[in-house]
Amino acid sequence: MVKRLKIKGQMKIQQMAFMLMAITLFFILVGLFALTWRFAGIKESALALEEKNTMLLATKIANSPEFSCGNSFGGSKLNCIDADKAMSLKENINYYIGFWGKNVNNIKIETVFPVEARKDCTLSNYPDCNVIDLFEKGTQGLPYWNFVSICQKSTDEGRLYDKCVLGKVFVYSNDDEEK
Amino acid sequence: MMMKKNKRAQEEMVGFALIIIIVAVILLIFLGFSLTKPSTDNVESYEVESFMQAMLQYTSNCSDNLQRLSIQDLIIRCERRRECADGRKSCDVLKEEIEDIMAESWKIENTPIAGYDMIVVLDDKAVVNISQGNITNNFKGSTLPRIKGEIDVTMNVYY
Repeated sequence: MVKRLKIKGQMKIQQMAFMLMAITLFFILVGLFALTWRFAGIKESALALEEKNTMLLATKIANSPEFSCGNSFGGSKLNCIDADKAMSLKENINYYIGFWGKNVNNIKIETVFPVEARKDCTLSNYPDCNVIDLFEKGTQGLPYWNFVSICQKSTDEGRLYDKCVLGKVFVYSNDDEEK
Repeated sequence: MMMKKNKRAQEEMVGFALIIIIVAVILLIFLGFSLTKPSTDNVESYEVESFMQAMLQYTSNCSDNLQRLSIQDLIIRCERRRECADGRKSCDVLKEEIEDIMAESWKIENTPIAGYDMIVVLDDKAVVNISQGNITNNFKGSTLPRIKGEIDVTMNVYY
């Protein structure tokens, strides 16, 4: 009778052990599932953050006083580059080496629309051009870019008006430190 | 002896039921989380937002009697059904300009971009509604609300 009871007790212990193992395994699986689900979200967030930072670097430079339109073109405008300022800056670029951080290799402002044949801006051909290459160092480093409007004062049949075109500002940086 | 066995069976059943309830609660919590999770497809895009801001400042080739109008001024002129100084309909000019700008800025051919759409609403009325290419479930978009207090612009780019 005692032996039978012992066997029964052992069976019960075994049953409980199996049950505990099954429950543990189940929770581990659920945990793994939750982790995978969570990590998928993190990857998307990281991509979104990377995109945001990329935009922010270019936007930060576009909205800095050295480039921004300020109130010169009818009220304050975001993501607006004053082409006249940029050209003036290009002519005095030697004073601005390292101004945007030592990792910024080059800043380039290009017209996207209206579409015209590429023409680099110099003092002699401005404003009949569409690319302002500030440091003239080409495309060294990673390019960070954003859409901007490029504005300048222009004349139409003798009348002065604000001319804004659609463009992109490219910031070529060595690494992520500048973000 | 029989009663003792019955009681044991009842205890086992209660244990089993408890486990089922715990598992069901956990599954319900997960289901709740997955249902309330915001859609990851509709990612807020700073690229699209910047594009819209820059596009609204673009100087169109429609002028009033004083100066050439920006796209955002042209939207207001279009809604008021007023013509450009050269007699063209402001709405036609507006649509044409936005279509050209978007076609050049968001090229569909030989790029990962499958399509795009844009809707400009002024005083709850759609002034411009442009759609190009294919609409997919993977898109990035942005809305610029209440520009000049009355214009809403929404744009999505599909990949």
